[in-house]
Amino acid sequence: MLNLLFVDLGRKIIVFMYFFGGLANLAIQTVYLTFKPPYKYDHIIEQSKRAGYESFPIVSVVALFIGFIFALQSAYFMQRLGAEMYIASLVALAIVRELGPVITALVVAGRVGASHTAELGSMQVTEQIDALETLATNPIKYLVVPRFVALGLMLPILTLYADILGILGSYLICVFKLGITSSMYMNITFTSLAYKDLFTGLFKAWIFGMIIALVSCYEGFNVRGGAEGVGKATTRSVVISFLMILAADCLFTALFYFIFP
Amino acid sequence: MIFGKTKLELKVGIFTFVGLIILVIFILSIGGFKTWSLGYDFSVNYQFVNGVKVGAPVRFAGVDIGEVRGVVLEFVPEENRTNVRLDVWVRSNARIPPDSTVWVNTLGLLGEKYVEIIPGKDYANALKDHQSITGIDPLPIHEIFNRAENIMRNLDAGLTKIMNKEGSLGKFIYDDALYNDFEAFAADIRKNPWKLLYKSKEKK
Repeated sequence: MLNLLFVDLGRKIIVFMYFFGGLANLAIQTVYLTFKPPYKYDHIIEQSKRAGYESFPIVSVVALFIGFIFALQSAYFMQRLGAEMYIASLVALAIVRELGPVITALVVAGRVGASHTAELGSMQVTEQIDALETLATNPIKYLVVPRFVALGLMLPILTLYADILGILGSYLICVFKLGITSSMYMNITFTSLAYKDLFTGLFKAWIFGMIIALVSCYEGFNVRGGAEGVGKATTRSVVISFLMILAADCLFTALFYFIFP
Repeated sequence: MIFGKTKLELKVGIFTFVGLIILVIFILSIGGFKTWSLGYDFSVNYQFVNGVKVGAPVRFAGVDIGEVRGVVLEFVPEENRTNVRLDVWVRSNARIPPDSTVWVNTLGLLGEKYVEIIPGKDYANALKDHQSITGIDPLPIHEIFNRAENIMRNLDAGLTKIMNKEGSLGKFIYDDALYNDFEAFAADIRKNPWKLLYKSKEKK
Protein backbone atom coordinates (compact mmCIF):
# COMPACT_ATOMS: atom_id res chain seq x y z
CA MET A 1 0.00 0.00 0.00
CA LEU A 2 2.63 2.49 1.18
CA ASN A 3 4.89 1.16 -1.53
CA LEU A 4 2.29 1.94 -4.19
CA LEU A 5 1.82 5.43 -2.78
CA PHE A 6 5.51 6.23 -3.15
CA VAL A 7 5.65 4.68 -6.62
CA ASP A 8 2.70 6.83 -7.64
CA LEU A 9 4.25 9.95 -6.13
CA GLY A 10 7.56 9.27 -7.82
CA ARG A 11 5.84 8.76 -11.15
CA LYS A 12 4.02 12.07 -10.75
CA ILE A 13 7.28 13.88 -9.97
CA ILE A 14 8.92 12.33 -13.04
CA VAL A 15 5.96 13.38 -15.21
CA PHE A 16 6.26 16.91 -13.83
CA MET A 17 9.97 16.98 -14.59
CA TYR A 18 9.28 15.80 -18.15
CA PHE A 19 6.77 18.63 -18.51
CA PHE A 20 9.20 21.19 -17.13
CA GLY A 21 12.00 20.04 -19.38
CA GLY A 22 9.74 20.04 -22.42
CA LEU A 23 8.50 23.53 -21.61
CA ALA A 24 12.08 24.76 -21.20
CA ASN A 25 13.00 23.19 -24.54
CA LEU A 26 10.08 24.92 -26.24
CA ALA A 27 10.94 28.23 -24.50
CA ILE A 28 14.57 28.15 -25.63
CA GLN A 29 13.67 27.29 -29.24
CA THR A 30 10.98 29.97 -29.26
CA VAL A 31 13.28 32.70 -27.95
CA TYR A 32 15.98 31.68 -30.43
CA LEU A 33 13.56 31.66 -33.38
CA THR A 34 12.03 34.99 -32.28
CA PHE A 35 15.31 36.75 -33.02
CA LYS A 36 16.12 34.74 -36.15
CA PRO A 37 14.91 36.16 -39.48
CA PRO A 38 12.63 36.00 -41.41
CA TYR A 39 10.14 37.83 -39.19
CA LYS A 40 6.43 37.16 -39.64
CA TYR A 41 4.99 40.60 -38.88
CA ASP A 42 1.54 39.86 -40.30
CA HIS A 43 1.17 36.82 -38.06
CA ILE A 44 2.21 38.86 -35.04
CA ILE A 45 -0.38 41.53 -35.91
CA GLU A 46 -3.07 38.89 -36.35
CA GLN A 47 -2.26 37.30 -32.98
CA SER A 48 -2.01 40.74 -31.32
CA LYS A 49 -5.53 41.49 -32.46
CA ARG A 50 -6.77 38.20 -30.99
CA ALA A 51 -4.83 38.53 -27.72
CA GLY A 52 -5.10 42.27 -27.14
CA TYR A 53 -7.85 43.99 -29.06
CA GLU A 54 -10.41 41.21 -28.67
CA SER A 55 -9.60 40.63 -24.97
CA PHE A 56 -10.04 44.29 -24.15
CA PRO A 57 -13.84 44.25 -23.45
CA ILE A 58 -13.73 41.34 -21.01
CA VAL A 59 -10.56 42.57 -19.28
CA SER A 60 -11.97 46.07 -18.87
CA VAL A 61 -15.29 44.85 -17.46
CA VAL A 62 -13.53 42.54 -15.00
CA ALA A 63 -11.13 45.31 -13.92
CA LEU A 64 -13.99 47.77 -13.43
CA PHE A 65 -15.87 45.30 -11.24
CA ILE A 66 -12.72 44.53 -9.25
CA GLY A 67 -12.34 48.28 -8.62
CA PHE A 68 -15.95 48.57 -7.43
CA ILE A 69 -15.69 45.55 -5.17
CA PHE A 70 -12.31 46.49 -3.73
CA ALA A 71 -13.48 49.99 -2.83
CA LEU A 72 -16.71 48.78 -1.24
CA GLN A 73 -15.10 45.95 0.71
CA SER A 74 -12.31 48.13 2.07
CA ALA A 75 -14.83 50.89 2.88
CA TYR A 76 -16.63 48.38 5.13
CA PHE A 77 -13.66 48.31 7.47
CA MET A 78 -12.02 51.69 6.79
CA GLN A 79 -15.20 53.56 7.73
CA ARG A 80 -14.97 52.15 11.24
CA LEU A 81 -11.52 53.67 11.56
CA GLY A 82 -12.64 56.88 9.87
CA ALA A 83 -9.95 56.32 7.26
CA GLU A 84 -11.94 56.40 4.01
CA MET A 85 -9.26 58.67 2.59
CA TYR A 86 -6.82 55.78 2.44
CA ILE A 87 -9.07 53.61 0.27
CA ALA A 88 -7.68 55.56 -2.69
CA SER A 89 -4.07 54.67 -1.99
CA LEU A 90 -4.95 51.10 -0.95
CA VAL A 91 -6.83 50.45 -4.19
CA ALA A 92 -4.20 52.15 -6.35
CA LEU A 93 -1.35 50.12 -4.87
CA ALA A 94 -3.23 46.82 -4.88
CA ILE A 95 -4.41 47.18 -8.46
CA VAL A 96 -1.25 48.56 -10.02
CA ARG A 97 1.14 46.23 -8.20
CA GLU A 98 -0.87 43.03 -8.05
CA LEU A 99 -4.47 42.74 -9.18
CA GLY A 100 -4.09 44.44 -12.56
CA PRO A 101 -1.41 42.07 -13.91
CA VAL A 102 -2.81 38.93 -12.30
CA ILE A 103 -6.47 39.45 -13.21
CA THR A 104 -5.50 40.35 -16.77
CA ALA A 105 -3.28 37.29 -17.06
CA LEU A 106 -5.96 34.95 -15.68
CA VAL A 107 -8.61 36.32 -18.04
CA VAL A 108 -6.27 36.09 -21.03
CA ALA A 109 -5.14 32.58 -20.03
CA GLY A 110 -8.76 31.46 -19.96
CA ARG A 111 -9.69 33.22 -23.16
CA VAL A 112 -6.66 33.24 -25.44
CA GLY A 113 -4.57 30.41 -23.97
CA ALA A 114 -7.46 27.95 -24.25
CA SER A 115 -8.11 28.92 -27.84
CA HIS A 116 -4.42 28.52 -28.73
CA THR A 117 -4.36 25.03 -27.23
CA ALA A 118 -7.57 24.00 -29.02
CA GLU A 119 -6.32 25.42 -32.31
CA LEU A 120 -2.88 23.85 -32.19
CA GLY A 121 -4.33 20.64 -30.74
CA SER A 122 -6.76 20.13 -33.59
CA MET A 123 -3.95 20.92 -36.03
CA GLN A 124 -1.91 18.24 -34.31
CA VAL A 125 -4.61 15.54 -34.41
CA THR A 126 -5.35 16.25 -38.10
CA GLU A 127 -1.59 16.02 -38.76
CA GLN A 128 -1.36 19.57 -40.11
CA ILE A 129 1.71 20.23 -37.96
CA ASP A 130 3.49 17.24 -39.55
CA ALA A 131 2.44 18.62 -42.93
CA LEU A 132 4.09 21.95 -42.06
CA GLU A 133 7.31 20.12 -41.32
CA THR A 134 7.23 18.27 -44.62
CA LEU A 135 6.88 21.68 -46.31
CA ALA A 136 10.17 22.70 -44.60
CA THR A 137 8.35 25.18 -42.34
CA ASN A 138 9.37 25.12 -38.71
CA PRO A 139 6.06 24.84 -36.79
CA ILE A 140 7.57 26.67 -33.83
CA LYS A 141 8.62 29.58 -36.02
CA TYR A 142 5.30 29.58 -37.83
CA LEU A 143 2.87 28.95 -34.95
CA VAL A 144 4.50 29.62 -31.57
CA VAL A 145 6.68 32.68 -32.18
CA PRO A 146 3.83 35.00 -33.32
CA ARG A 147 1.70 33.98 -30.33
CA PHE A 148 4.65 34.34 -27.95
CA VAL A 149 5.58 37.82 -29.20
CA ALA A 150 1.97 39.00 -29.41
CA LEU A 151 1.06 37.88 -25.88
CA GLY A 152 4.29 39.31 -24.48
CA LEU A 153 3.56 42.68 -26.06
CA MET A 154 -0.18 42.81 -25.47
CA LEU A 155 -0.38 41.74 -21.83
CA PRO A 156 1.42 44.84 -20.46
CA ILE A 157 -0.86 47.05 -22.58
CA LEU A 158 -3.96 45.19 -21.37
CA THR A 159 -2.62 45.56 -17.83
CA LEU A 160 -2.42 49.34 -18.30
CA TYR A 161 -6.09 49.32 -19.34
CA ALA A 162 -6.96 47.14 -16.36
CA ASP A 163 -5.05 49.47 -14.00
CA ILE A 164 -6.78 52.61 -15.18
CA LEU A 165 -10.23 50.99 -15.25
CA GLY A 166 -9.81 49.43 -11.80
CA ILE A 167 -8.86 52.82 -10.41
CA LEU A 168 -11.85 54.31 -12.25
CA GLY A 169 -14.18 51.75 -10.65
CA SER A 170 -12.96 52.57 -7.18
CA TYR A 171 -13.07 56.30 -8.04
CA LEU A 172 -16.77 56.03 -8.89
CA ILE A 173 -17.55 54.34 -5.56
CA CYS A 174 -15.42 56.71 -3.48
CA VAL A 175 -16.62 59.91 -5.13
CA PHE A 176 -20.32 59.14 -5.55
CA LYS A 177 -20.90 56.85 -2.58
CA LEU A 178 -18.39 57.76 0.12
CA GLY A 179 -18.24 61.49 -0.59
CA ILE A 180 -14.49 61.92 -1.15
CA THR A 181 -13.89 64.84 -3.50
CA SER A 182 -12.66 64.05 -6.97
CA SER A 183 -9.42 66.03 -6.89
CA MET A 184 -8.59 64.66 -3.43
CA TYR A 185 -9.04 61.11 -4.71
CA MET A 186 -6.76 61.65 -7.70
CA ASN A 187 -4.16 63.38 -5.56
CA ILE A 188 -4.01 60.57 -2.99
CA THR A 189 -3.96 57.92 -5.72
CA PHE A 190 -1.01 59.36 -7.58
CA THR A 191 1.04 60.48 -4.57
CA SER A 192 0.88 56.94 -3.15
CA LEU A 193 2.08 55.36 -6.42
CA ALA A 194 5.73 55.23 -7.39
CA TYR A 195 7.36 54.34 -10.70
CA LYS A 196 8.55 51.03 -9.30
CA ASP A 197 4.94 50.01 -8.56
CA LEU A 198 3.90 50.62 -12.17
CA PHE A 199 6.94 49.05 -13.80
CA THR A 200 7.12 45.94 -11.62
CA GLY A 201 3.45 45.37 -12.46
CA LEU A 202 4.11 45.71 -16.18
CA PHE A 203 7.17 43.46 -15.96
CA LYS A 204 5.09 40.78 -14.29
CA ALA A 205 2.46 41.13 -17.00
CA TRP A 206 5.12 40.56 -19.66
CA ILE A 207 6.31 37.38 -17.88
CA PHE A 208 2.70 36.16 -17.54
CA GLY A 209 2.10 36.72 -21.25
CA MET A 210 5.08 34.57 -22.16
CA ILE A 211 3.98 31.86 -19.71
CA ILE A 212 0.49 31.74 -21.23
CA ALA A 213 1.84 31.49 -24.79
CA LEU A 214 4.39 28.77 -23.96
CA VAL A 215 2.08 26.61 -21.85
CA SER A 216 -0.84 26.80 -24.28
CA CYS A 217 1.34 25.99 -27.30
CA TYR A 218 3.13 23.18 -25.43
CA GLU A 219 -0.16 21.55 -24.52
CA GLY A 220 -1.43 22.05 -28.07
CA PHE A 221 1.58 20.30 -29.58
CA ASN A 222 1.25 17.43 -27.10
CA VAL A 223 -2.35 16.49 -27.93
CA ARG A 224 -2.87 12.76 -28.46
CA GLY A 225 -6.06 10.91 -29.29
CA GLY A 226 -8.54 12.88 -31.32
CA ALA A 227 -11.25 15.28 -30.22
CA GLU A 228 -11.29 14.03 -26.65
CA GLY A 229 -7.54 14.69 -26.36
CA VAL A 230 -8.05 18.26 -27.55
CA GLY A 231 -10.63 18.84 -24.80
CA LYS A 232 -8.38 17.36 -22.11
CA ALA A 233 -5.37 19.36 -23.34
CA THR A 234 -7.39 22.60 -23.27
CA THR A 235 -8.43 22.00 -19.66
CA ARG A 236 -4.89 21.13 -18.67
CA SER A 237 -3.52 24.19 -20.47
CA VAL A 238 -5.80 26.57 -18.54
CA VAL A 239 -5.17 24.89 -15.19
CA ILE A 240 -1.38 24.80 -15.65
CA SER A 241 -1.35 28.41 -16.90
CA PHE A 242 -3.26 29.56 -13.80
CA LEU A 243 -0.91 27.66 -11.49
CA MET A 244 2.22 28.89 -13.21
CA ILE A 245 0.98 32.49 -13.32
CA LEU A 246 0.33 32.48 -9.58
CA ALA A 247 3.62 30.71 -8.84
CA ALA A 248 5.55 33.20 -10.99
CA ASP A 249 3.64 36.05 -9.33
CA CYS A 250 4.63 34.76 -5.92
CA LEU A 251 8.27 34.46 -7.00
CA PHE A 252 8.50 37.90 -8.58
CA THR A 253 6.60 39.64 -5.79
CA ALA A 254 9.05 38.20 -3.28
CA LEU A 255 11.97 39.11 -5.54
CA PHE A 256 10.84 42.73 -6.03
CA TYR A 257 10.06 43.00 -2.33
CA PHE A 258 13.72 42.35 -1.56
CA ILE A 259 15.24 44.17 -4.56
CA PHE A 260 13.17 47.36 -4.26
CA PRO A 261 12.24 47.64 -0.59
CA MET B 1 5.00 43.53 -48.08
CA ILE B 2 2.83 46.61 -47.60
CA PHE B 3 2.17 47.96 -44.13
CA GLY B 4 -0.68 50.07 -42.73
CA LYS B 5 -3.44 49.11 -45.15
CA THR B 6 -5.66 46.56 -43.42
CA LYS B 7 -8.48 46.94 -40.87
CA LEU B 8 -6.56 44.48 -38.71
CA GLU B 9 -3.60 46.81 -38.42
CA LEU B 10 -5.96 49.71 -37.67
CA LYS B 11 -7.52 47.82 -34.73
CA VAL B 12 -4.18 46.79 -33.25
CA GLY B 13 -2.88 50.31 -33.86
CA ILE B 14 -5.74 51.98 -31.98
CA PHE B 15 -5.44 49.49 -29.14
CA THR B 16 -1.68 49.98 -28.76
CA PHE B 17 -1.84 53.77 -29.17
CA VAL B 18 -4.46 54.21 -26.44
CA GLY B 19 -2.43 51.86 -24.22
CA LEU B 20 0.67 54.01 -24.69
CA ILE B 21 -1.37 57.16 -23.91
CA ILE B 22 -2.46 55.52 -20.63
CA LEU B 23 1.20 54.72 -19.90
CA VAL B 24 2.16 58.37 -20.46
CA ILE B 25 -0.73 59.52 -18.24
CA PHE B 26 0.44 57.18 -15.49
CA ILE B 27 4.06 58.30 -15.77
CA LEU B 28 3.19 62.00 -15.72
CA SER B 29 0.68 61.63 -12.87
CA ILE B 30 3.00 59.59 -10.68
CA GLY B 31 5.81 62.09 -11.23
CA GLY B 32 3.22 64.77 -10.43
CA PHE B 33 4.74 67.07 -13.11
CA LYS B 34 7.22 67.89 -10.37
CA THR B 35 10.15 66.43 -12.21
CA TRP B 36 9.52 68.66 -15.20
CA SER B 37 8.59 71.91 -13.46
CA LEU B 38 11.17 74.66 -12.97
CA GLY B 39 12.90 75.21 -9.70
CA TYR B 40 16.21 75.89 -8.02
CA ASP B 41 18.48 74.21 -5.51
CA PHE B 42 19.96 75.46 -2.31
CA SER B 43 21.60 73.75 0.60
CA VAL B 44 21.02 73.89 4.34
CA ASN B 45 23.81 73.10 6.82
CA TYR B 46 23.08 71.20 9.98
CA GLN B 47 24.96 69.39 12.72
CA PHE B 48 22.13 66.92 13.24
CA VAL B 49 19.14 66.14 11.04
CA ASN B 50 17.26 63.47 13.02
CA GLY B 51 16.90 61.05 10.11
CA VAL B 52 15.68 63.20 7.21
CA LYS B 53 15.62 61.07 4.05
CA VAL B 54 15.98 61.90 0.37
CA GLY B 55 12.52 62.78 -0.95
CA ALA B 56 11.29 64.29 2.31
CA PRO B 57 8.95 67.24 1.65
CA VAL B 58 10.03 70.84 2.17
CA ARG B 59 7.40 73.23 3.51
CA PHE B 60 7.57 76.99 3.34
CA ALA B 61 4.99 78.74 5.53
CA GLY B 62 3.22 75.38 5.79
CA VAL B 63 2.94 74.78 2.03
CA ASP B 64 4.75 71.95 0.21
CA ILE B 65 7.14 73.65 -2.20
CA GLY B 66 9.81 71.07 -2.89
CA GLU B 67 11.79 68.14 -1.62
CA VAL B 68 15.13 67.04 -0.22
CA ARG B 69 17.30 65.88 -3.11
CA GLY B 70 20.38 64.82 -1.16
CA VAL B 71 21.78 64.28 2.33
CA VAL B 72 25.58 64.68 2.37
CA LEU B 73 27.98 64.22 5.27
CA GLU B 74 30.94 66.67 5.23
CA PHE B 75 33.90 66.76 7.55
CA VAL B 76 35.03 70.32 8.33
CA PRO B 77 38.74 70.08 9.29
CA GLU B 78 39.22 73.69 10.48
CA GLU B 79 36.37 73.41 12.99
CA ASN B 80 36.99 69.70 13.67
CA ARG B 81 33.37 68.65 13.36
CA THR B 82 30.99 66.89 10.97
CA ASN B 83 28.51 68.92 9.00
CA VAL B 84 25.33 67.55 7.38
CA ARG B 85 24.40 69.29 4.15
CA LEU B 86 20.81 68.90 2.92
CA ASP B 87 20.49 69.63 -0.80
CA VAL B 88 17.01 71.01 -1.25
CA TRP B 89 15.07 71.62 -4.46
CA VAL B 90 12.16 74.08 -4.42
CA ARG B 91 9.81 75.47 -7.06
CA SER B 92 10.98 78.64 -8.74
CA ASN B 93 8.01 80.70 -7.51
CA ALA B 94 9.05 80.20 -3.87
CA ARG B 95 11.08 83.21 -2.68
CA ILE B 96 12.91 82.30 0.50
CA PRO B 97 14.48 85.08 2.59
CA PRO B 98 17.94 84.14 3.93
CA ASP B 99 16.94 85.00 7.52
CA SER B 100 14.20 82.32 7.48
CA THR B 101 14.18 79.71 10.20
CA VAL B 102 14.87 76.28 8.68
CA TRP B 103 14.37 73.32 10.94
CA VAL B 104 13.51 69.64 10.78
CA ASN B 105 9.99 68.99 11.94
CA THR B 106 8.09 65.78 12.56
CA LEU B 107 4.58 64.87 11.49
CA GLY B 108 3.17 63.54 14.72
CA LEU B 109 5.43 62.32 17.51
CA LEU B 110 7.18 59.49 15.65
CA GLY B 111 6.01 60.36 12.14
CA GLU B 112 7.74 61.35 8.96
CA LYS B 113 10.48 63.99 9.09
CA TYR B 114 10.24 67.02 6.86
CA VAL B 115 12.01 70.35 6.45
CA GLU B 116 9.99 73.30 7.71
CA ILE B 117 10.85 76.85 6.66
CA ILE B 118 9.33 79.70 8.66
CA PRO B 119 9.62 82.82 6.45
CA GLY B 120 11.92 85.63 7.54
CA LYS B 121 11.75 89.28 6.53
CA ASP B 122 14.72 89.84 4.21
CA TYR B 123 12.94 89.40 0.87
CA ALA B 124 15.34 91.79 -0.89
CA ASN B 125 18.12 89.13 -0.86
CA ALA B 126 15.92 86.06 -1.46
CA LEU B 127 17.91 82.83 -1.90
CA LYS B 128 19.22 82.04 -5.37
CA ASP B 129 20.45 78.84 -7.01
CA HIS B 130 23.21 76.97 -5.11
CA GLN B 131 23.31 79.32 -2.11
CA SER B 132 23.42 77.85 1.35
CA ILE B 133 21.97 78.78 4.71
CA THR B 134 22.37 77.40 8.21
CA GLY B 135 19.51 75.45 9.72
CA ILE B 136 18.46 75.12 13.32
CA ASP B 137 19.23 71.62 14.62
CA PRO B 138 16.23 69.65 15.77
CA LEU B 139 16.22 68.52 19.38
CA PRO B 140 17.26 64.85 19.52
CA ILE B 141 14.51 62.69 20.93
CA HIS B 142 16.64 61.61 23.91
CA GLU B 143 17.13 65.27 24.81
CA ILE B 144 13.36 65.70 24.93
CA PHE B 145 13.05 62.62 27.10
CA ASN B 146 15.85 63.89 29.38
CA ARG B 147 14.06 67.18 29.92
CA ALA B 148 10.76 65.46 30.53
CA GLU B 149 12.46 63.16 33.00
CA ASN B 150 13.92 66.11 34.91
CA ILE B 151 10.51 67.73 35.19
CA MET B 152 9.03 64.45 36.35
CA ARG B 153 11.74 64.01 38.99
CA ASN B 154 11.14 67.49 40.43
CA LEU B 155 7.39 66.95 40.48
CA ASP B 156 7.87 63.59 42.12
CA ALA B 157 10.06 65.06 44.86
CA GLY B 158 7.43 67.70 45.62
CA LEU B 159 4.60 65.18 45.68
CA THR B 160 6.56 62.82 47.96
CA LYS B 161 7.04 65.65 50.48
CA ILE B 162 3.34 66.42 50.46
CA MET B 163 2.44 62.76 50.91
CA ASN B 164 4.92 62.49 53.80
CA LYS B 165 3.01 65.31 55.49
CA GLU B 166 6.01 67.59 55.25
CA GLY B 167 5.85 71.31 54.55
CA SER B 168 2.83 73.55 54.93
CA LEU B 169 0.97 72.01 51.96
CA GLY B 170 1.42 68.51 53.38
CA LYS B 171 0.21 69.64 56.80
CA PHE B 172 -2.70 71.49 55.24
CA ILE B 173 -3.89 68.36 53.48
CA TYR B 174 -3.17 65.71 56.12
CA ASP B 175 -3.38 67.55 59.49
CA ASP B 176 -6.87 67.83 61.00
CA ALA B 177 -5.90 70.57 63.50
CA LEU B 178 -6.72 73.44 61.14
CA TYR B 179 -10.07 71.89 60.19
CA ASN B 180 -11.00 71.29 63.83
CA ASP B 181 -10.09 74.86 64.70
CA PHE B 182 -12.27 76.21 61.92
CA GLU B 183 -15.18 74.00 62.90
CA ALA B 184 -14.96 75.06 66.54
CA PHE B 185 -14.73 78.68 65.48
CA ALA B 186 -17.80 78.38 63.21
CA ALA B 187 -19.79 76.65 65.95
CA ASP B 188 -18.80 79.31 68.43
CA ILE B 189 -19.80 82.15 66.09
CA ARG B 190 -23.14 80.52 65.33
CA LYS B 191 -23.82 80.23 69.04
CA ASN B 192 -22.61 83.69 69.92
CA PRO B 193 -22.96 85.91 66.85
CA TRP B 194 -22.44 89.02 68.98
CA LYS B 195 -18.74 88.12 69.15
CA LEU B 196 -18.36 89.40 65.56
CA LEU B 197 -19.40 92.90 66.64
CA TYR B 198 -17.69 92.76 69.96
CA LYS B 199 -14.78 95.07 70.38
CA SER B 200 -12.27 94.05 72.90
CA LYS B 201 -11.52 96.65 75.47
CA GLU B 202 -7.88 95.85 75.96
CA LYS B 203 -6.74 97.55 72.75
CA LYS B 204 -8.10 100.96 73.58
